[in-house]
Amino acid sequence: MISFRELTKRFGAHEAVSSLTFDVRPGEIYALLGPNGAGKTTALRCLATLMRPSSGTVVVGDADVMSDPRGVRRRVGFLSTSMGLYERLTAREQIEYFGRLQEMDGTVLIHRVEELIDRFGIGPFADRYCGRLSTGQRQRVAIARAVVQDPEALVLDEPTNGLDVVSGQGIYAFMQESRSRGKAILFATHNLAEVELLADRVGILDGGRLVAEGTVSGLLEYTGTPNLTRAFLSLVRH
Amino acid sequence: MRSVWAVARKEVRETLRDWRTLAMMIGVPILLYPVLLVASQQLALFGMRRAEAEVVRIAVIGAAADSVLLRLAGDDRIEVVGVPGAPPDGAAAGSAWLAAAGVVDAAAAGIRAGSLEAVVVLEGNPSDSGTLSAVLLFDDTSDRSRRARTMLRETLDGWGEEMFAARLLAQGLPATFARPLAVADSSLARPDERGGYVLGRFLPMLLVTITLLGAFYPAVDLAAGEKERGTLETLLTSPAPAFSIVLGKFVTVSAIALVAAALNMGSMFLTFRTGLFQLPAEMVLDISIPPTALVWIFALLVPLAALFAAVFLGIAVRSASFKEAQNTLSPLMLLVLLPALLPILPGTELTPALAIVPIAGPALLFRELMSANAGVGMGLLVIGSTAVYALGALWFAADAFGRETILFGGGDLESEPGSRVLRGFGGPRRRGQTPRPVHALIVLGVVAALNLFGAPFLGAALGLERALLASQWLLMLLPAVGFVLLFGYDPIETLSLRRPSARQLGGALLMIAGGTPVAWFLAWLQSQLLPIPEELVEALTRLVSADSFGRMVWLVFVAAITPALAEEFLFRGMLLGSTRNAMSPARAILLNAGIFAIFHLSIVRLLPTAWLGLLLAWVVWRTRSIWTSVTMHALNNSLVVVLASLPAAQDWGGDGTEAPPLILLPLAVLLLGWGVRILQEEKPAGEA
Repeated sequence: MISFRELTKRFGAHEAVSSLTFDVRPGEIYALLGPNGAGKTTALRCLATLMRPSSGTVVVGDADVMSDPRGVRRRVGFLSTSMGLYERLTAREQIEYFGRLQEMDGTVLIHRVEELIDRFGIGPFADRYCGRLSTGQRQRVAIARAVVQDPEALVLDEPTNGLDVVSGQGIYAFMQESRSRGKAILFATHNLAEVELLADRVGILDGGRLVAEGTVSGLLEYTGTPNLTRAFLSLVRH
Repeated sequence: MRSVWAVARKEVRETLRDWRTLAMMIGVPILLYPVLLVASQQLALFGMRRAEAEVVRIAVIGAAADSVLLRLAGDDRIEVVGVPGAPPDGAAAGSAWLAAAGVVDAAAAGIRAGSLEAVVVLEGNPSDSGTLSAVLLFDDTSDRSRRARTMLRETLDGWGEEMFAARLLAQGLPATFARPLAVADSSLARPDERGGYVLGRFLPMLLVTITLLGAFYPAVDLAAGEKERGTLETLLTSPAPAFSIVLGKFVTVSAIALVAAALNMGSMFLTFRTGLFQLPAEMVLDISIPPTALVWIFALLVPLAALFAAVFLGIAVRSASFKEAQNTLSPLMLLVLLPALLPILPGTELTPALAIVPIAGPALLFRELMSANAGVGMGLLVIGSTAVYALGALWFAADAFGRETILFGGGDLESEPGSRVLRGFGGPRRRGQTPRPVHALIVLGVVAALNLFGAPFLGAALGLERALLASQWLLMLLPAVGFVLLFGYDPIETLSLRRPSARQLGGALLMIAGGTPVAWFLAWLQSQLLPIPEELVEALTRLVSADSFGRMVWLVFVAAITPALAEEFLFRGMLLGSTRNAMSPARAILLNAGIFAIFHLSIVRLLPTAWLGLLLAWVVWRTRSIWTSVTMHALNNSLVVVLASLPAAQDWGGDGTEAPPLILLPLAVLLLGWGVRILQEEKPAGEA
């Protein structure tokens, strides 16, 4: 579903991502782990067509970020760390707006918005401005907004960043449910506990390169370490 | 198109929920004029009444003081006070005596101390055919003193006229004897025309300002604000094309600016028309605009609002934050308002040339519309040219929205000088790291200010040639190189400090050999439109002409080698280096040439300087070696020195005021083409 093919991204002489190659299959949760500056966000931004690869490419379904960026945007639901909500739009308007940008309209859009409001428990605050919502409520709106077109792939950049445990559980449940519906889910995180809980496979990025890839148990076996933290530390440069 | 409306609808909705924009757009225009005008009128009236009720203290000293005092006696707004040392009646005292006795000084001191407002010093004898001189001492920085002076002046003038009439009568002459010619004005302008004339003076400035302000805040909020809040990143992950997003924002900002302008105009006219604001009785004006003029005004406001919206959006989205956008746009706003002042200048007519000047054309057309003098052709020319500029600005804005360097500031490297300065000299430098264009432009601004304000001091202290040397080495070269080193950027990458190959140098030489005649041709072409003042030509020739070989070598060093080094390191080094990773070659080179031309602050040399800037920037972009452009620049300037110094060469011309021999042009194009070909074939310096 999501396929990184020799993706390289340079900023001047600095190579932020180097020949990155991996796949995320339908119905799979893939965690991208790495220390700060490893290139996780850059890789996700290339996938979300916010950045143009210096070489290589990313393909989502049959859409290539280089030749069909709009096709990629239709297929991917992207959630950035900043959530990207408009303060002076209500939760409902927010979801509706992105639905329109996804070329949805009329009753289809109305039904979809109601469905998402219901699905994410947004109802009690659906008509409140997003600027007045709590972080947990905002995150629910942001996810509803990201999946308004029911995308085939989900790209989440640190989705539980700043959330309390309860709000975080809601996100986990959503990711697991999406997996069961055959979505390909790629998420970047620093939180090793949620990787252990959610990820079917893990890719470890360091200095822009994929230094290891596999299941959690596979990585433990490969590194000969008792837990993911040790495995991670043994794989990345300090 | 659907996504354009989706964006526009959402932006309007959000804007209408923002009290700051609403206050600026609706609150200010609706309330500003009535409140401001009525309040100022009432304050003025209150001030006038209070002033009229105030008693002013005056003194009259010298000959015939009694006659003046007698005339003032009935006026209860005046209190006569004495001046120390003055004789009680003053009648016998001449001004010489008064001065000697220190009376005049005492009177002046009294006025300064505020113990009295005005003093009349009289000298002479009114009874015979002579002239009685009356000097009024007062303080024109004090309202009370000026009022006292006006009252005294009226009394004295009246007395003078009475004396004059009495003299005529004594001679048996009629009162008309002294007025053989009576001149009176009679303006044919109707009150509405007069109203249009008055409006035409201040309304253009006001309309431009209002439209500008109307576009300012929403543009900054919808571009820089959205970027800062992180919503632009999310927006750009939707399938809506970047151009549709810009168009949606552009439509919103233009509409807001237009509504703000319309509300301002409406409120202003209602204030005048409903009688809320009373014009002084002597001002027979009719503040109204004919319906056809109103249609024209709105037709013009549309592209004007669009122009401001697009320019502001384009600049705001290139700013990292709301604050940075405000800081960038504020000086630009002042610059934009300058052409809007043109209608106030006497003798400025709306000519076809001025009609196509941005802002100036619309401002002058507003004035003409108020006076009902505008022709349809001229109106269309202004509207059409403004619309073309708006479209150009829209492209400028649209171009930025989808670009990752704009969205993420050139990647995740440490590119902020604040974080880099600590690294300092000798510290670790990240290979290939160049400054951001905005930082290079700030340094350039500082260099420009240093040169503008520092050069006159250097000139006064060191003389012209030494000052030129000092300003080029210290105020240009040093800041450019210092900035790169101090902030830890890669000097080789930023300043293009690579050795050129022999072929690259050859190509550069061919380029300047072909480029110089073209520059000459452009200088001549420009002089046809904008004649170069002869004094300027003479001054420049004097500056660079040498009478001996030794002097010529010195001048080549001062006027050719030094500027070649300083200006090339500043423009083709620091500035071009900052844009290499941030924009396309065409944009970077055009920007470089444009700034280079403007930096020279010489309108008469604008075209040739821009052309040379274009050549030099392209060559450095291509070769990645600053030494190619330093050589070209030095040769170009040396040629000027040689031409100005050799008598034979002087006859040949070349100061830009004479047309170049036409045979030179095809030759120049040939050389340029040859140079371009060589440089395109040759790999940039430093590449294997």
